[in-house]
Amino acid sequence: MRDSQQRPRRVVITGLGTVTSIGLGVPAFLDGLRSGRSGVKPLTGFDTTGFAHANGCEVDDFEPSRFIRHADPEGLGRATQFAVAAAVMAVADAGLGESELRSRRALVSVGTTDAETRDLDALAEQQLAEGPEHLDPVLARRAQAGRLSTGIVRELGLTDVEALTIPTACAAGNYAIGNGFDALRDGDVDVALCGGADAVCRKNFVGFYRLGTVAPEVCQPFDKDRKGILTGEGAGILLMESLDSALARGARIYAEVLGYGLNCDAHHPVAPDRDSLARCMEVAHRNAGVKPEDVDFISAHGTGTRANDVTETGAIRQVFADPPPTVSIKSMIGHSMGAASALASAACALALTEGFIPPTVNHGETDPECGLDCVPNEARPADLTVVQNNALAFAGNNAVLILGRYQEAA
Amino acid sequence: MNRLALTAWSAVTPYGVGSEPFRAGVTAGRTALTALDRDIHPGPFTHGAVIPGFSAAAYVGKKGTRTMDRETAIAVTAVGRLIAECGTGLTDRPEDVGLVLGTGSGSVQSIMDFTRDSLTGERPYHVDPARFPGTVMNRATGQSAIRHGIKGPNTTVAGGALTGLLALAYAGRLYRGGHCARVLCGAAEEYSTQRAWLEWHGRGEAERTTPLGEGGAVFLAEPPDAARAAGRAPLAHVLATRFRACATPDGVRQAVADCVRDALKTADVTPAAVRVVAPLGTGGALADQERFALGDVLGTAQPEWVRVSALLGDTSAAATGLQIAAVLAAAGPQGLGPGEAALVTGVDRDGTVGCALLGG
Repeated sequence: MRDSQQRPRRVVITGLGTVTSIGLGVPAFLDGLRSGRSGVKPLTGFDTTGFAHANGCEVDDFEPSRFIRHADPEGLGRATQFAVAAAVMAVADAGLGESELRSRRALVSVGTTDAETRDLDALAEQQLAEGPEHLDPVLARRAQAGRLSTGIVRELGLTDVEALTIPTACAAGNYAIGNGFDALRDGDVDVALCGGADAVCRKNFVGFYRLGTVAPEVCQPFDKDRKGILTGEGAGILLMESLDSALARGARIYAEVLGYGLNCDAHHPVAPDRDSLARCMEVAHRNAGVKPEDVDFISAHGTGTRANDVTETGAIRQVFADPPPTVSIKSMIGHSMGAASALASAACALALTEGFIPPTVNHGETDPECGLDCVPNEARPADLTVVQNNALAFAGNNAVLILGRYQEAA
Repeated sequence: MNRLALTAWSAVTPYGVGSEPFRAGVTAGRTALTALDRDIHPGPFTHGAVIPGFSAAAYVGKKGTRTMDRETAIAVTAVGRLIAECGTGLTDRPEDVGLVLGTGSGSVQSIMDFTRDSLTGERPYHVDPARFPGTVMNRATGQSAIRHGIKGPNTTVAGGALTGLLALAYAGRLYRGGHCARVLCGAAEEYSTQRAWLEWHGRGEAERTTPLGEGGAVFLAEPPDAARAAGRAPLAHVLATRFRACATPDGVRQAVADCVRDALKTADVTPAAVRVVAPLGTGGALADQERFALGDVLGTAQPEWVRVSALLGDTSAAATGLQIAAVLAAAGPQGLGPGEAALVTGVDRDGTVGCALLGG
């Protein structure tokens, strides 16, 4: 379905749903980003006895029944509950009525790292205690990655819908949004609910802890004294539609999705590759029809590990003759895994609309090896046109998304 | 219309490693279900379909496979065989080749073993760090790219029983979006004791004892002109993929029928042109609804029915991928002829349904 000039349709973001450790919903999330709020506290999602430190960024004020009206929350794992809540918020935020939504052909794509591994943790514990003959059937049923997207379908009562989960680890949110962009641009669907979700779980924390990458107290991306990541959780879901559709219904437009790029290092299971990441940015720029000098700020993957931060800033310098401000909201909300790049995309959309660059908090002194302007500690007012959102994942999966301020004559 | 063609495929299944044993087994309608060796496969099932003699060490090699789970080994092997069959020219420009693989929830065995080690070790972090990447759900897709040097988009897709259909739809969109010149696309699932227990407890009573299978299938999807330039002929064109959902199980029949009708209409294909039908055929009462729906749409047409789940058991996330492979197997070395079509359908317990329409 192309317009009369056979151009692909333009795609815009008109609704945001955010479940984060610094607030539920757009107003709280926006306020957190502006004020540089940190979501860090001691983890409570599993028994942390025996770890020297166990801080993280959990969502601690989440009541599923506030958002989930139709499905039984008990039938949904925590990551699915987050995804469903964020989708419900995004639909409401877009001002799209439920029956109007149901009348449109939809894509639901949700990225994740661990899906319902929190339930698999619980099942592993049950199995140790009581034997595999006695696993909880409710947990066994709901501990499936596909549930993150089908949970949204059921809650919203969608019928003309394609629903998939994209478990491409910590870059999955950008993958899912890119998938929605392609589907809308081609006219395959009329509305897309895309993003990512993850819930804190023992398996994930233990893995990063064992690798020596978990910071004891706070997450300090690009800081010379950074000590690693903080695991986090949450969900970000974007409601996207064609520009024509948004204009026809007088919707508020947060941002236009200009394009994205994906590639794979095909090199190492966990270590990132600078040249390959640089190439992914170039691919994204080409797909989006922008040049490096058009980018007003970069929302970095910025995990706060040396391997990530030095590699990522090196790749940025390779692509950008004059790198723009480069921030990491993981300093505030931790690494919410599959939700991370979806929430960062939501932050970018808000930044474009509200005219500010979110800060990198907990920042003392910038690591000279990174050496970029990370907008330390305080948000900065800025007139933004194009922003870039980076995401990297285990297995060398890179995904870079480009958003632009919606301009009528673009 | 930027239609992709499936021009080559490989399969790693309980019939053996490679597309030929699968073709022979499926076209003969020979079951691969056997009594399980209970020493190797304890757990609730007495019967199942596992890949004979398969292990990462035996098929991927000894190097670097100590921590490789079975699902990953199946995927790496299937991708490797496809590339070998097509010749290494396929990945001469590795940045232009996408890889899209479906999974259930990664290797649940690897994930839950890792958690168990944390719970039983002297310290909660006394786990093998080399096993951590195998607990992340993009492991099979990532390792397939690393081992075969595929540097284009690398995406893992999960959607229960619909996974293979969703991967095919995603691959087409990736290509039409300009993200790659061709795509390797498929799905894999492992037989593990842990998956067996989760399936046993998660299923309804009516389907509890349906045996499990495992396997993987990978397809080369590329534009027909590029295929011909590389000396490959299209075996089938991907005419349409369609998906729907329904709130209650009794809506499945209508949802499947709507999906299939819409796909036929979109591609301007009549029911009489459908030569092969490969339904999922698992899920207890859902399988009946799927069959009724296909009867509703196809009417008096007399296609060949290929029932992979009757031969291989419930292969979960690999199922619809293996059904696509079965259609290609049934179509033979020349593929679907002009004017011929094939249908692959699936129904997930979560109330989602889907189909792919292939054509000559």
